[in-house]
Amino acid sequence: MVLSATTDGGQRSIRRNGSFGYVVPALLLIAFFFIIPVLMLLMRSVLEPTPGLQNYQELLGSTTYLRVFLNTFTVAGLVTVVAVVIGFPVAWLLAIMPDKWSRLVMAIIVLSMWTNLLARTYAWMVLLQRTGVVNKMLISLGIIDKPLALVNNLVGVTIGMTYIMLPFVILPLIGILKSIDPAILRAAALCGANKRQCFTRVLLPLSLPGIASGALMVFVMSLGYYVTPALLGGTSNMMLAELVAQFVQSLVNWGMGGAAALVLLLVTMVLYAIQLKFLNPNRVR
Amino acid sequence: MKKQTIIAVLAATVAFAGQASAADMVFTSWGGTTQDAQKQHWADTFSTEGGVNVTQDGPTDYGKLKAMVESSNVAWDVVDVEGDYAVQAGNAGLLEKLDFSVIDKTKLDPRFVTDYSVGSFYYSFVIGCNKDAVDACPKSWADLFDLAKFPGKRTFYKWSAPGVIEAALLADGVAADKLYPLDLDRAFKKLDTIKSEIVWWDSGAQSQQLLASAEAPFGSFWNGRLTALAQTGVTVETSWTNNITAADALVVPKGTKNKEAAMKFIANATSDKAQAEFATMTGYAPINTDSPKLMDEDLRKTLPDQQAETQVNADMSYWAAHRDEIGTRWYAWQAK
Repeated sequence: MVLSATTDGGQRSIRRNGSFGYVVPALLLIAFFFIIPVLMLLMRSVLEPTPGLQNYQELLGSTTYLRVFLNTFTVAGLVTVVAVVIGFPVAWLLAIMPDKWSRLVMAIIVLSMWTNLLARTYAWMVLLQRTGVVNKMLISLGIIDKPLALVNNLVGVTIGMTYIMLPFVILPLIGILKSIDPAILRAAALCGANKRQCFTRVLLPLSLPGIASGALMVFVMSLGYYVTPALLGGTSNMMLAELVAQFVQSLVNWGMGGAAALVLLLVTMVLYAIQLKFLNPNRVR
Repeated sequence: MKKQTIIAVLAATVAFAGQASAADMVFTSWGGTTQDAQKQHWADTFSTEGGVNVTQDGPTDYGKLKAMVESSNVAWDVVDVEGDYAVQAGNAGLLEKLDFSVIDKTKLDPRFVTDYSVGSFYYSFVIGCNKDAVDACPKSWADLFDLAKFPGKRTFYKWSAPGVIEAALLADGVAADKLYPLDLDRAFKKLDTIKSEIVWWDSGAQSQQLLASAEAPFGSFWNGRLTALAQTGVTVETSWTNNITAADALVVPKGTKNKEAAMKFIANATSDKAQAEFATMTGYAPINTDSPKLMDEDLRKTLPDQQAETQVNADMSYWAAHRDEIGTRWYAWQAK
C-alpha cells in the first residue's frame, strides 16, 4: 500500500505538505502508553528483584507455570475451533440471506458485542451454575438427573469465550463468503458434485483465507483474555493473563509479572508475524 | 507549531489527571456491602463534620498501590487493606507513619495497631451453611474437610491470606495453639483431599451468591457476609467453632497529598461511634474498645469478639513475614 502511494503523484504531494503531522498524536499515544510501559516492564522483568534472567528461568522452568501456558493454548485453541465450526454456518446464512433479514441478524450479533463484557460473563455464570437455568431445564426435561459441572472449569471458559469471540469469526467471514460467486457452486453442482463435495471442494477452499484470518484473530485475542476465564474458569485451568494479574496484584512480584506478560506478548507477536507472512490477502489472490 | 500544541495539551491532561482538588480525599476499600457501610458511617459523617469531600474508590489493589507510591502519583489517601499486608507494606516503605497525635490509639485494640496502620474492623472466618439446601450442616473445620460425611461443593476464600491454611490444619487435628509456624506441607496435603470439590470465592459478594444459590451449600465465610445474607431471608446456619479471626487495617499510602485529611479521616473512622455504627450494620466487630457500650445488646452477641471460647487468632506478624512465600506456593498449588 505504502509503496504504491509513492508512485502516485497526488498522494506524494500531500505527504510533502506535512500530512505526517496528523499521525503524530497517534504515534505519541502509542509511544507514551504502549511502547514506554512495555520497555519498563521489560526492565523490571530482568532487574527485579536482582538483575538477571532468573524470572524467565523460574517462569519457563517450573511445571506449574508451564501448565498455565499449556492451559492458555488449550483454551485458545478450543475456543477457536468451536467458534469457527459454529460461526461458519451463521456467516454463510448471513451471506446468502436477503439483505432485510441479514441486517436484523447482524444487528443482534453486533448488539451482543456492544453489551458490557462483565455483564455478559456474569449472565453465563448464572445460566451455567449447578442451580442455574441450563441445569434446571435439563433436569426437568429428564435428560440428566444430577446437575452438570458447567462452570468453574474448562467447559465454562470455552462456552463463555466462544460466545464472546463468535462475532470476530462471523464478521470477516461474511465478507469473504459474499465475494464468492454463487454461480461457482451452481456450476459445481451441474458438474455432478454432491452437496458435501460442493462444500469441501469448492466453498471451503474459497473461504479458507477468511476462516484463517478469523481463526487467528480469535486465537490471539483468546491468549490474552482475562475477565471471562477468571470468572467462569476454575483455578486449575488458569490462563496466562490471570497469572500476570496474580503476580502484579496479589503477590506484588512485578519482576515475574513482567516476565509472564512479555512472554505472552512475544507469543502473540510471533503469531501475528505468521499471519502477515502467510495470510496476507494480497498474496492469497 | 501544531506538534507543540498537541504536546502541551497532552502534558496538561496528564498533569490535570494527577491532581486531586485540595478539599477532596479518596477512600479505597473492597466494595460491596462493607464499603457501603464504610461510606455511610465513616466517610459521609466525616464529610459533613470535617468539610472534606470523601470520594470512594475500589477495589483495593496492592499492585496499584505500589505503582502509585513508586510513581509519586498517589490517588488514594486512605486504603482498607488486609492486616498482614499492612505490616508488610509498612516495612517495605510504601506507607506513611500514622499521626497518633490526631488518632487516639489508647481506645484501639492494640492487637491491630502498628506504626503504619490501625485496625479497620475485625472479622472471623466461620463455617456457613445454607440450611434449606442440605440435610445436615458441617459444624467444624473437620466436618467441612470431610467429603464422606458432607459430600458436594464447598467454598473457600480464593486469595492467599490468613484463614484457609489454618482451617486445613485445624481440620487435620493440629491444636489451635500449635498452629504457628504453619506446617504448609501438611496443610496442602489436607487441602488436596477436598480440592476437586472446592469452589473459590474471590469477593464477599460472590461468597454470598454461591451460598444463597446453593452452588456451594457450605464453606468458609467472613462472618459479616453471613449476617447480611441472613437479613435477606436466606436460612443461614453459622458455626463459630474455631472461628479464625483476622482484621483489616487502615493505611495511608506514602506520598499522599492529603495527609492531614487522611489522619483525621482515620481518627473519625476508628472513633467509638463510627465503629459501633459500622459494626451494627455489617456484623463485623469494632476495633475501638469503647464501641461495644454504644451497641444493641442482642446484636453484640452475634459479633466475633463474643465468640472467644474456641477462637483462633491468625498470627498477622507470622503472615507478614511469610506472605510472599506462602502466596507463591498457594497460587502454584491452586493452578495444579
